[in-house]
Amino acid sequence: MTTRAEFLRRIRTEMGRTAGLFPAETAARPTRPRERLEILRRELSERWPQNLERFRHEFERVGGVLHRVATAAEVPDAVARVAQERGMRRVVAWHADALGLDVAGPLAARGLETSAAPGGEVAAAEREHRRAVAAAADLGVTGVDLAIAETGTLVVLSGAGRPRSASLLPACHVAVFDRDALVESLAHAGLALEAWHDGAAPEWRGASINFITGPSRTADIELTLTRGVHGPKEVHAVFVEQGLGPRRG
Amino acid sequence: MVTCLGDMFYPEVGERIVRLLRALGVAVDFPAGQTCCGLPLFNSGYHADAAAVARRTVALFRGAEAVVVPSGSCAWMVKHEYPGLLTDPEDRRAAEQLAGHTHELSQFLVRRLGRRRFRSAVGGRLTYHDSCHLLRGLHESESPRALLRELTGAEFVELPGADECCGFGGSFSVRLPEVSTAILDKKLASVEASGADCVVACDAGCLMQMRGGLSRRGSRVRAVHLAEVLGEAQ
Amino acid sequence: MSEAPPATPLRERAGRALQDTFLQEALTIATTKFIGLRREAFDEFPEGEALRDRARAIKEATLQHLDQHLERLIDNVERRGGHVHYATTAEEARAIVLDIARRTGARMAVKSKSMATEEIHLNEALEAAGITPVETDLGEYIIQLAHERPSHIIAPAIHKTKGQVAELFARELKRETQPDPEVLTRIARAELREKFLEADLGISGANFGVADTGTVVLVTNEGNGRMVTSLPRVHVAVMGVEKVIPSMTDLAVFLAILAKSATGQKLSVYTSLVNGPRRGGELEGPEEFHLVLLDNGRIRQIAGPLREALDCLRCGACLNVCPVYRQIGGHAYGYTYPGPIGILLTAMLNGSESVRDLAHASSLCGACADACPVRIDIPRMLIELRKEVGERRIAPWSERVVFAGFGRLLQRPALYRLAARVGRALQRPFVRHGAIRGLPAFFGHWTRTRDLPPIAARTFQERWAELEREGRR
Repeated sequence: MTTRAEFLRRIRTEMGRTAGLFPAETAARPTRPRERLEILRRELSERWPQNLERFRHEFERVGGVLHRVATAAEVPDAVARVAQERGMRRVVAWHADALGLDVAGPLAARGLETSAAPGGEVAAAEREHRRAVAAAADLGVTGVDLAIAETGTLVVLSGAGRPRSASLLPACHVAVFDRDALVESLAHAGLALEAWHDGAAPEWRGASINFITGPSRTADIELTLTRGVHGPKEVHAVFVEQGLGPRRG
Repeated sequence: MVTCLGDMFYPEVGERIVRLLRALGVAVDFPAGQTCCGLPLFNSGYHADAAAVARRTVALFRGAEAVVVPSGSCAWMVKHEYPGLLTDPEDRRAAEQLAGHTHELSQFLVRRLGRRRFRSAVGGRLTYHDSCHLLRGLHESESPRALLRELTGAEFVELPGADECCGFGGSFSVRLPEVSTAILDKKLASVEASGADCVVACDAGCLMQMRGGLSRRGSRVRAVHLAEVLGEAQ
Repeated sequence: MSEAPPATPLRERAGRALQDTFLQEALTIATTKFIGLRREAFDEFPEGEALRDRARAIKEATLQHLDQHLERLIDNVERRGGHVHYATTAEEARAIVLDIARRTGARMAVKSKSMATEEIHLNEALEAAGITPVETDLGEYIIQLAHERPSHIIAPAIHKTKGQVAELFARELKRETQPDPEVLTRIARAELREKFLEADLGISGANFGVADTGTVVLVTNEGNGRMVTSLPRVHVAVMGVEKVIPSMTDLAVFLAILAKSATGQKLSVYTSLVNGPRRGGELEGPEEFHLVLLDNGRIRQIAGPLREALDCLRCGACLNVCPVYRQIGGHAYGYTYPGPIGILLTAMLNGSESVRDLAHASSLCGACADACPVRIDIPRMLIELRKEVGERRIAPWSERVVFAGFGRLLQRPALYRLAARVGRALQRPFVRHGAIRGLPAFFGHWTRTRDLPPIAARTFQERWAELEREGRR
């Protein structure tokens, strides 16, 4: 089997045979991305209404449904409405610390069987069980780490209390966010990605980041668009005007 | 530069161009001993031979103030590929000179001479097919259209899929004749659906392919070279 | 040598494709649609042109320091607890994946769409080892059930009707079906959901590998990429070495143009960033993450004539605009990668002999280079391949003789003019009503379907003396 050294040696040998096709540079990396991201967020907080409007336009274009509520306390009602309109009963949700609000209690009170993710590491058997619960769930509630206005994209970081399955297995995905998540462009998202990977990752961070742009889809059969192939068939986003509580993220 | 296809098969196009240019006050010369720009050799990978032909052609046109070419593909060959084919620095410099002075016909009329108004030599409805080398090689889609739109006595309609290949591709037309013909059929269906009486092209290769197909189908639509529709200058 | 050459010649394969009326219709509809979607997406995206230039520059700059970027990628993947493997050949890549699969004790592997795994013929090797590979991208799932190969880089089952898919599902899955894409999608969702949850092993490709962070990036629409990289216990990603990019900032540039070029979408539904195995606290995620770096002919092209083809993002835009692909579809090319870029990749993986015919499956129209998000000059490299095929005497002897003769003729004007006169004499019996309809032998390739103009009674050169006199008057 080829070793690392052999592999790289072959590459270096070939590289040595050519100067390349033309002078070229890669993109300039930001030197202090976390700082730059903070500065960007502050700038963006002034423009949030325009960015939300742009986000709404793009999100709806890709089949998303946007809801607006004034306070975090109204979120469970919005989720319950979505569930009840669709005859859905079983919900999985991110942990309250990750969402910035507790949905499990309020949703249960409205007759929805809700399971919130544990806040930390659990045993393999428990993980198996949770996975089955998510697979059987109708609706998954998650937070949002970035909402990209240019493309109508929701970006979610996985981690403790933030299972990947919540935005993947149930047929309906409901994402809850506030103005802090809004950014304008893919370039801004690039900066966020730089910042998130700069330095040691916090304890709760997982190994997956997903950019979600509308419901799962395919046009593989005669180019006819169908939704909900493997991932959710519907994606909803609930915008909380007055902001979510403090959250890990 | 008359080009090999122009010389052998469409000499009337060359004649019309000479008379047209003279009518515009341009003195026209024709260096003897022209054969071909070498594009067929180049495209099939015979670059040593293509380079020899290039060197010869460059020498033939040395000192020309402007070289007018009726085919976009040949003009492209001279402007784009000749310098790279010639390794000798003298030859390369001469090729770069020639490249700078070479123009496809519509480019010469519109961009060099600033003339775009002509009476049409044919009536009815005209449409235009973008030949690949002129469009993508020389980035020219406007000059032929400007000329056609401003023709008096004819109507111009845009061809859907004008920028799609006609299927000629030089030796491709005989290496994969069925595919070449299928591509041509698609092009001609579009031409006939456009309602045009004539499809105009600025390339002898495209002309040969389209005319060959239209004539075989017994179509009433004609494929003509740009020079064949340009009548009196206005 | 990766792939066995096709059993029948190109012209025959192309001929069959041209006779297949459903294929012809499907190709026209699909490619026309993709062309329109791509055009619309870039029309509304004025920054697009500048980003394409930047993307091309990033790819070239990366190649100029490929070793350093790969080393960083490797170090970062390992730092996060992943394992990196090195495959020089397709055979080695298969062996590496099989070895991981065996050690996993996997009976079944779920796969998300990966041209790299198609290229190395991984599925056959897994099956031979008693491990069932299950393709989960709907298009790939369909062709897997049908025992076929993909016919388009991003829409692998473009050549199948919904009726054919319904029949296929009914036969292979023993289920009630209807020729309705919604129904068929629901069936696939249910069948594959079981597999995702059951599988011990997930196999994916990689659209990008970010060196700065050791991140593997998957761009998908269905969600199978997320499933495959989150649910099974072991995840193996097979990645061509040229997929490495330096940073997340670079990634944002590519994401801005990739989906637009492929399908006209601003972004695909899912862009999944994989940072190694599951971390503590996560409910999902593989316990083991393996990255298999694949050479298979790529490294040789760093200093080779096909270097630019290493920039390819596998978006399929060139296929959609190619007049040849649009007529013959993917299978007629006879190898894993079809279309304009496919010819170059085939040469890269299998050597130039493998494309002695395919290099001519092009009219050199340049639409591919125009559509390519990273501006790969495909026609230039096709001509290079033709040159190589000629120089290395791979082209047939008869062709080389004809072109050599032609080359000589073009340098001797007197001979050239004589040839015109001879041609004029020889053509006489074939000219009817000013056109030539039926020529024998090689020339019949033209005249079977098209008329040919006769050589003029007087060529331009023969008329010049008179024209010159006219000018002096």
